[in-house]
Amino acid sequence: MGTSRLDTVALRKEYPGTVALEGVTLSFEGGKIHALVGKNGAGKSTLVKIFSGAVKPTSGEIRIDGQGVTLRSPKDALRKGIAAVYQELSLVPELSVAENILMGRLPRFDGLRRQLVDWGTTFARAEELLMRLGLELDVRARVRSLNLARQQFVEIAKAMSYDPSVLILDEPTSALSYGEAERLFGILRHLASRGVVLLYVTHRLQELRQVADTVTVLRNGRHVGSVEIGGATPEALAQMMFGEVIQKASPPGVCAGTGTSLEVRGLSLKGRLHGVGFALRRGEVLGIAGLLGSGRTELLKALSGAEPADSGTVILENQAVRPTSPAQMKSLGVVLAPENRKEEGLVQLLSTRLNLCLASMDRISRHGFTRRRLERPVVERSVRSLDIAVPDPEAPVSLLSGGNQQKVVIGKWLNTEPHVMLLDEPTRGIDVQAKRQMFEIIWDLSRRGISCVVVSSELEELLEVCHRILVMRGGAVVGEVLPQSTTLEQLFEMCLA
Amino acid sequence: MKHLGIRIGTVVLEIILFVLCVILAATAPRFLTAENLLNVLRNVSMQGLIALGMTMVIIAGEIDLSVGSAVAFAGCLTAFLTGHLMGAGLPGEIAVPLAIVASLAVGFALGSLSGFMRARYSVPTFITTLALMTGLSGAAELITNGFPLTPFPSWYNFIGGGYVVGVPLPALVFLAGFVVFHLLMNNTSFGRSVYAVGGNAEAARLSGIDVAQVKILVLGVTGLLAALSGVMQSSEIMSGAATTAKGWELDVIAAVIIGGTSMTGGSGKVWGTMVGVIFLGVIINGMTLLNISEYWQHVVRGVLILAAVLINRTQKQS
Repeated sequence: MGTSRLDTVALRKEYPGTVALEGVTLSFEGGKIHALVGKNGAGKSTLVKIFSGAVKPTSGEIRIDGQGVTLRSPKDALRKGIAAVYQELSLVPELSVAENILMGRLPRFDGLRRQLVDWGTTFARAEELLMRLGLELDVRARVRSLNLARQQFVEIAKAMSYDPSVLILDEPTSALSYGEAERLFGILRHLASRGVVLLYVTHRLQELRQVADTVTVLRNGRHVGSVEIGGATPEALAQMMFGEVIQKASPPGVCAGTGTSLEVRGLSLKGRLHGVGFALRRGEVLGIAGLLGSGRTELLKALSGAEPADSGTVILENQAVRPTSPAQMKSLGVVLAPENRKEEGLVQLLSTRLNLCLASMDRISRHGFTRRRLERPVVERSVRSLDIAVPDPEAPVSLLSGGNQQKVVIGKWLNTEPHVMLLDEPTRGIDVQAKRQMFEIIWDLSRRGISCVVVSSELEELLEVCHRILVMRGGAVVGEVLPQSTTLEQLFEMCLA
Repeated sequence: MKHLGIRIGTVVLEIILFVLCVILAATAPRFLTAENLLNVLRNVSMQGLIALGMTMVIIAGEIDLSVGSAVAFAGCLTAFLTGHLMGAGLPGEIAVPLAIVASLAVGFALGSLSGFMRARYSVPTFITTLALMTGLSGAAELITNGFPLTPFPSWYNFIGGGYVVGVPLPALVFLAGFVVFHLLMNNTSFGRSVYAVGGNAEAARLSGIDVAQVKILVLGVTGLLAALSGVMQSSEIMSGAATTAKGWELDVIAAVIIGGTSMTGGSGKVWGTMVGVIFLGVIINGMTLLNISEYWQHVVRGVLILAAVLINRTQKQS
């Protein structure tokens, strides 16, 4: 089998209002595993969508084995030799492994029985393919009965059954355990050795060394650089991913007060958190830095009672409590603005007004009856103080932009008058201006004595917005730094080490 | 479309109902008489009462298929208990109220049970209430031994067949129910919790709303309303019969859907259900007055459900 290659020339993708990719010229040769990394919004997913035929580039060219191609649809891309495996699997759980692999192409009998599936050939063909790929799977087993890693293998086998020259894997390990990911890497190396171009998109930078041969970095829709894995030191990666960052200090007047507002002791959750402990001062903005899977989201969920920990206590105003439910923690003044605001933060069908009052109905009602007289000032104050751009508070909140929806989530919690605000990725998917406003809001909370715990993948944001940063790795707190005396590279290395 | 400050789209059903009434008034001479209109109101009141609760259930993202059987069961249970209590020597004035309260309590408890199963064990209410529907229907047959029970003193007929200031009592109960549920869903924190739970149960839970309590209460209250309807029904026919209210659950759900409540939960209005209930009542009444076969009435109802849902969809898209 020959060695394939995939090239792009001056690829550009424009969306109304933004340029997602600009002048991206890349070259990937077969027989190697190429990691594609970059921050959220760097253009990784746009590039993957272009390769898989789901999105058409505005201009530029894609070449497979030196031949220019136009990819009209995912089906067309498949026909021309590019197969993709996504984070969300597309298998039918009730069907067998063989049926899933050969879906839509099940072998039939000849002649009179041509409407009937030839099961013998189906299983044999699937078995032969799996053997060729070095995968050990029972082709008759139902996909439902397999663990996630094995389901992932079935998905890969399905993609490989089209005999592609290029295989793209989009965040394949995000749901896998460490051991399962190891197995996956073994399979990928085997596939690469057959000459296929393997493109590996990931957020988990810690696994690069285990799997990748080269690392390609995108930033703001541009190709920043590609290096052999030997040259992908943490400093080099940080330099490429974040660029030269101008660090801004917190504005004057913002400083953590005295007195502890919350203390966490020995918080543990099986396989996720290991004895996490820290103290939070009144009005402090505490950052949690860590890579995906480091336990940062689990920590916030445990503290807010959304997904209680197995053990550990939280001390609030000299009283030890075990967080067990969001209602309990809300009444104690600890609230969480979750990572995915669409699914967990807001009721999209309901109006901005109703969402703003969702968590504080006791404040706007008397004897169970909601009172306009009490509600109106609450809603008006939220809209004004958070500067929410809302043309009509009675219209569904789903009509608002991401940044404004995030403000509604925060407003909803501020109306409960909390002591501690937990913010999971507060700036994800919102524009630059809204980000600045989010920082201002966090500092304003700090001035009012409300402590904030901020989780963010954007390390430079943490350095800008926080008083102090804890570093998490593998479910434990492994370090603590002060933004004034820490560089982005140092922080990144601590997360990665 | 925006005219006179209200969106036309939100009052399509009201407009069609009005046009329908005008047509009927012109073609069926007896339609626009006080007697006939009160009759319409009386005919829809028992199903309408349940539809108010069903609106809440569907907004909360659930369903209750057991209401028809629950009506029959409550009527039979009331008759059964009345018979036994009077047989034990209690006067009717004491036996009947005791039997009614017991039936209402059982109705509430059975509804709450589906809610509890949903909240605690994640059993879909489609299944629990389907089981209840079959079970209660059988239980009604069991306690009546297959024959209507007729233990009621003659004054009992007042509850389902009586008039207060010229208006049938069940119609008054329905109208009062409408006011209560309209206020409940629009002006109380409980009502908002119902919308939130149906719109996004996880976001509601994370906002500190007691999702289990909401589900248990909406189903419990609907069970209570079905039982109340059953009591009135048994009073109207002066007996507890296991065969009453067969298939009501579908009529009730139809009225709620025609009223614009979304089956996926999170949106809907008690007012819409009120209009849907009256709409169906007027159609049936009009067709009866115009001597159109009863079979056609079923066909028309089917067409109406489809048309109403289509109107809703196109409104949402525009």
